[in-house]
Amino acid sequence: MAHMARTLAEGPGIPGPHLHAGFTKDRWMVGTLGAMAPLALLAGLALGPRAAVHLALGLGTALLLHLGLALGERIVRGRVLHPSWTSSLVAGAIAALSSLAVAPYAVTAGIAALAVALKFAQGWVFGRKYLNPVAAAKVLLLGLMTATLGLERGLMYHPHHLDWIDMWTREGFEGGLWFLAWGDWGPGLSLLLWKTHTWMGGVSGLATLLIGSLATWLLRYKWRISVSFLGTMGLLALLLAGLTRGDPLLRLAFHLFTGSVIFLAFFMATEPQSTPMSAGGQYLFGVGLGILTFLLQQLNVLGGSVLALVAMNLFTPLLDRVGLGRPVGLERRKDAR
Amino acid sequence: MPAERYRERGGFFVDARMKHGLEELPFQEVSAPPEVVLFLRQHIGPAGKPLVREGHRVRAGQKVADSDDPLGVPVHSPVSGTVVGLRELPHPMSGRPEPALLIRTEDEGMPTPADEQDPDKLPPEEILARVREAGVVGMGGAGYPTHAKLRSGRGARFLLINTKESDPNVACDVRLLRERAEEVAAGIGVLARALGEPQVLVATRTAPGELPEFERLAQERGFRVVHIRPCYSVGSERLLVPEVLGFEVPLGRYPPDVGVVVHNVATAYAAGQAVRYGLPLVSRGLTFWAQDAGGRNLWVRVGTPVRHLLAFMGLAEERFSRFVFGSALMGWAFPEAGIPVVKTTTGVVGLGREEPSPYARPLPCMRCGYCDRVCPVRIYPSLILAAVKKGDGRALRRLHLEACIECGLCSYVCPARILFTPLLRDGKAFLRVQALTKG
Repeated sequence: MAHMARTLAEGPGIPGPHLHAGFTKDRWMVGTLGAMAPLALLAGLALGPRAAVHLALGLGTALLLHLGLALGERIVRGRVLHPSWTSSLVAGAIAALSSLAVAPYAVTAGIAALAVALKFAQGWVFGRKYLNPVAAAKVLLLGLMTATLGLERGLMYHPHHLDWIDMWTREGFEGGLWFLAWGDWGPGLSLLLWKTHTWMGGVSGLATLLIGSLATWLLRYKWRISVSFLGTMGLLALLLAGLTRGDPLLRLAFHLFTGSVIFLAFFMATEPQSTPMSAGGQYLFGVGLGILTFLLQQLNVLGGSVLALVAMNLFTPLLDRVGLGRPVGLERRKDAR
Repeated sequence: MPAERYRERGGFFVDARMKHGLEELPFQEVSAPPEVVLFLRQHIGPAGKPLVREGHRVRAGQKVADSDDPLGVPVHSPVSGTVVGLRELPHPMSGRPEPALLIRTEDEGMPTPADEQDPDKLPPEEILARVREAGVVGMGGAGYPTHAKLRSGRGARFLLINTKESDPNVACDVRLLRERAEEVAAGIGVLARALGEPQVLVATRTAPGELPEFERLAQERGFRVVHIRPCYSVGSERLLVPEVLGFEVPLGRYPPDVGVVVHNVATAYAAGQAVRYGLPLVSRGLTFWAQDAGGRNLWVRVGTPVRHLLAFMGLAEERFSRFVFGSALMGWAFPEAGIPVVKTTTGVVGLGREEPSPYARPLPCMRCGYCDRVCPVRIYPSLILAAVKKGDGRALRRLHLEACIECGLCSYVCPARILFTPLLRDGKAFLRVQALTKG
């Protein structure tokens, strides 16, 4: 479109607007970091110093790699294409908060580094991100680990869970959730309020829900994705509870408030570049993400929401074309095509 | 009390603090400049052909350019003086160089009003002729020839007078309603008469009682004053119609197609002056605003360079880096003070050297969707931007780029500080070229 750009330079006039609301990408990223800060604090309280080390590693690795890659851009391309280091800090924070406290530190650092590298690489190759960098980094690294070290140490699929939990039956499900219970609390209450066997960003399902909702409102995340994702998960949970004649609240608590669902719903699934723009596309994205995540949970891939997210990211260009809505003045009977 | 911020779609706000106190400042009459710079085109439509040459003496109110085109509108000299040249200068409406007559002022006298005519005794066709002869065009910024709009709107059900003045830097419409209420009301009456006496609605963002004189006159004449919410985007006629009347103007069509004719309040005033007194449109009210100097409402002759306004206000030209003509969200800016006021200039904003463009260093689109949420016509600027960059005409049509009203809100809220408007304009031009090529 060189000819289009040329028309701008034809006259000496500078086109408007000449005012700006003042809200910038960096402020958005700092706002997101601020929203994640209380979640990190809760993770520290629940999981101890390991959580702090994970967080420091995630942030530090992401920042260092960002600075290194930005320097490389300046040397090779003559200018920095990715000037916003706050965006890499957010990636680092998400890498840490989407890890288990028991995971090796190197894995968190590796995911953070790979996420920043993927962020840059997608920008260089495609001009934008098509895959959520942290989710893609997790899938890539944990997939490689699974392939080389085996299922048990791959950190994504947990075959030992099969010894005590059966997601498809009432007894197998309700009897197998003991590992999520905290103190005297039952698994349902623990899932909602306080748990330690989870992604660090979802230690308290309720806190993540409230903080995530507040951040969605204040920072204007793509709320349709969170709503349709959680809505789909909730509906499927109730459906399965009905089919297995189980406790619907326990099903809801499990499928909605595991860290991999509630944290991802607000802080990963709404990553702007890799998700659809259209309102209808966002709803479909959330529904698809919910169905895939639910199925993976049923197969005991308990952190499998990242796999579902990467899969749904691939459909974003298609989903951008649906549910565009009706512009003002477009007659309803008119074919939008 | 004017709102501090305007609420837009998606829960976004436009800062309207620039307007603070402006509505209380009466118009100051600016003297004629030593040299008038009079563009041959002062509206949407073809430029007029000059009727005078270098060395000709002209008197105030004399027609100096005209065109045979149905959308052509004459231009009149705002001063008595001598034509000293014809030059190409950047035009405040297009941003591109266009021809302008230079007239050296020799006498500051304004055109003399003729004996008052009673518009109610004039046939509509005569009103249209007088409006055209006086060079009246839409003065809210768009500049559509008023006679052409009146002609296409004959038999309309509604005449909607836009006093919304939604731009954050403009307060001249409200001043006009306060200072010249009788003339404005009479002008609205003239427009109504030309249209066949439709129902008259006056849309204003002022609260009831803030314009006591005008509200009284409106009541006497049977105009309905509609107080609408403080919102920037509703200033566009395409959005004002559904806001006030509850139905939309179909894409590709215009308000007269659905029985509504929308005119700006300053246009009504100018039409009234033209029909009642035979006065050509050679001056107008506008709002000047600058960060340190604040705002002023000025009554200015068309063709007055900004440099003369600065001198009148005692402001040093050197402190400014550029001047925005019209809306601070939609208008063009020029880095020099020699550009003159035209008939559509509602305001001028002086931007200092310490106020760089907020869009000077944009980041790549982050697809946050802010632009989509704020878009008042509910299109997707972010997707359109990607399609424009790819030159994807099919996608541009599917995304209904033609619905864009170029309000600038997408850029205003963009966290990546992307200047959408010129790219959207380019996309429209691209579609027009494609349509022509396909025949």
